[in-house]
Amino acid sequence: MKYVKNILSQSALLAVSIFMVATTSLAAEPWAWKATLDGAGSGQAIVMPTALYIDAERQRYYVIDSGNNRLLSYSQEGNFLLAFAAEGKLQIPYDMVRDNADVIWVVEKGRNSLTSINIKAKEILTHIIKDGSRTLVLDRIDYKDSIFYILDKETGQIALLNSDLTVKSWISCAECTSGIVDFKLVNDGIWALDLLDKKVVQFDHDGKLIKNFDVGQTLEFPVSLAIGPAGNIYVLDRHAPAIAVFDTEGSFKYTFLAKGWGRGELYFPIEILFDPWGGLCVVEEGNGRVEVFGR
Amino acid sequence: MLNYYRIFVISWLAIAFPIAAAADTVCFQCHKKEAFSGKVVHQPLAKGQCGACHNPHVAHFKGLLEAEGSALCFSCHAKEENAFKQGMVHQPVRSGQCLACHVPHSSSRSGLLKEQLSATCFGCHDKLPQKFQYTHSPYAQGQCYSCHRPHQSVFGELLKDEPDKVCLSCHKSQDLQKGHLNYPGTLRNCLSCHNPHGSSRKGIVRDILHAPFAQGCKECHDKGEIQGSTQSCLRCHEKVATGMLARHSHLTGKGENKCVACHSPHAGNEKNLLKGSQLQVCRSCHNDTIARYENKLYRHPKAKEGTCINCHEVHGSNRIAMLRADGNAICTRCHETQGKFTHPVGEKVVDVRTGQMVTCVTCHLPMGSDFKYELIYSGSKDLCIQCHKRY
Repeated sequence: MKYVKNILSQSALLAVSIFMVATTSLAAEPWAWKATLDGAGSGQAIVMPTALYIDAERQRYYVIDSGNNRLLSYSQEGNFLLAFAAEGKLQIPYDMVRDNADVIWVVEKGRNSLTSINIKAKEILTHIIKDGSRTLVLDRIDYKDSIFYILDKETGQIALLNSDLTVKSWISCAECTSGIVDFKLVNDGIWALDLLDKKVVQFDHDGKLIKNFDVGQTLEFPVSLAIGPAGNIYVLDRHAPAIAVFDTEGSFKYTFLAKGWGRGELYFPIEILFDPWGGLCVVEEGNGRVEVFGR
Repeated sequence: MLNYYRIFVISWLAIAFPIAAAADTVCFQCHKKEAFSGKVVHQPLAKGQCGACHNPHVAHFKGLLEAEGSALCFSCHAKEENAFKQGMVHQPVRSGQCLACHVPHSSSRSGLLKEQLSATCFGCHDKLPQKFQYTHSPYAQGQCYSCHRPHQSVFGELLKDEPDKVCLSCHKSQDLQKGHLNYPGTLRNCLSCHNPHGSSRKGIVRDILHAPFAQGCKECHDKGEIQGSTQSCLRCHEKVATGMLARHSHLTGKGENKCVACHSPHAGNEKNLLKGSQLQVCRSCHNDTIARYENKLYRHPKAKEGTCINCHEVHGSNRIAMLRADGNAICTRCHETQGKFTHPVGEKVVDVRTGQMVTCVTCHLPMGSDFKYELIYSGSKDLCIQCHKRY
């Protein structure tokens, strides 16, 4: 019996060791280029893409081709599917989401509108969002549990909108003197980024500040952030350009990627986000493409 | 035999006498010692340690120096090397030109300054008037250090502290209250109305007044909920409001009113009521960009002189880097010949690396580059083979 126990314990030790070696080597693997979402398939280069929306359910990427006033869809493998220009009505689309009712909501900078596109009903409607008498200046958008989360560029705060587009509440960061420039919704709340203060901020679902940390020692012009599968915070520096990685407590881990025009290089990147398949997507306004990196 | 004797004597002298004595006896045999004397003498020189900076036999740098520029200074002033990298760094410090302000051997002024403090400052800051109709007393007395730090600062304009705190370090709060009767709100943000150097107006109020400010405070400070917000500016400046509805806008910055990040709502030194020179205003947020290109070998003249608005649309733009026009049109406004006769550019010419339109900025980086004509890579080969790989 003792002999069996010994074998079992040794086997367990061996298995743990193998697992640890495997995970360590996995963690150490560098980010590598996986796919590029560009305009080649549509017959027209993407001009100044500003955002990427990922529909996990449909396994689709949607690139906001802001310079050509259209939305492009791609398969999970990065193959071009469709270009949609909303009858030529879009004016500087900037970001988008799709709601539970299958309606696409596009932030249009040109009209400062949250424009709804109901493809089934062939209906395109513009919506100017107000809070009292003040018109919000719309920027980034996300959607969860029938609530629109929309960044008001003027105040640097996130407005929570009901389905009828009335302002339900605000998430603001008293610590951020220059306001929020990007945010991401995650299971445990909201992560946001303050550009000029070079600060990453975490809120709970009610908008209560949980913590913040400074990224100014590492980054020069942080414009976007994303939360990795392991919980690390990835912050995009537009001017470097590069991506810096921090753990949840704000300890700097490493940076990767650099300026360039070739594959796997960045030029005026504007947004980063993780897809549900572990890929890190970088929207490059300067190179007119979205690059997907994997490990 | 004679040579062996010489070597023996020199070796014995080297052991017997300290370096100081060596400098005294050797260097000053040729170099006149009086030329190195003064009220303040650089420590190594005072100790006769000429070899701390100079190599007596051979060196790579002029003056038989062991290193060049600030690298030489930081070989002793190691603490400063790190400290002088923090925050906003004075241009000569950033470019390692310690001798722009200091002399290496001796001076009649503390800190081994080249000239009197104000003369040293005005040596570069030659656009600043030396005198105003009403001149702020420290400025008139050439006491630049009263408000500014010479090497670096975490505050804009190399100020010693936050602007209001600098003012309050001399001006007592109660005196200020007396001078600002009926002031609507808490007395703060002195530089919004006052030019800290001087002005043609009494009380060193800046020369150009914002029209509503000239009519009194109530125009903006008596309007209920919108007082002080961005909207309170944009309701008059409609064109700016429209311009901000762009892909990229400067509707950002610290505080509730984004306009006052760059403009003074009350008074300014020029018609746009900017809070400083263009370069100063832009640097307050874009210090990284300015610092990155400031010391490049080749810079576009407009970038060099700091007139950012020549190429950038400061309120809002639909183009990358908030340019005023696309990467061709922006350049051919001035470079007319290149607009007609150049490497093919324009909508029909595609950058093979990205599929994007080839423009002037595909090859040039006007902000600054280490390659001639502000090229992104060396024009002899590296640049061309980016796209023309077969060549």
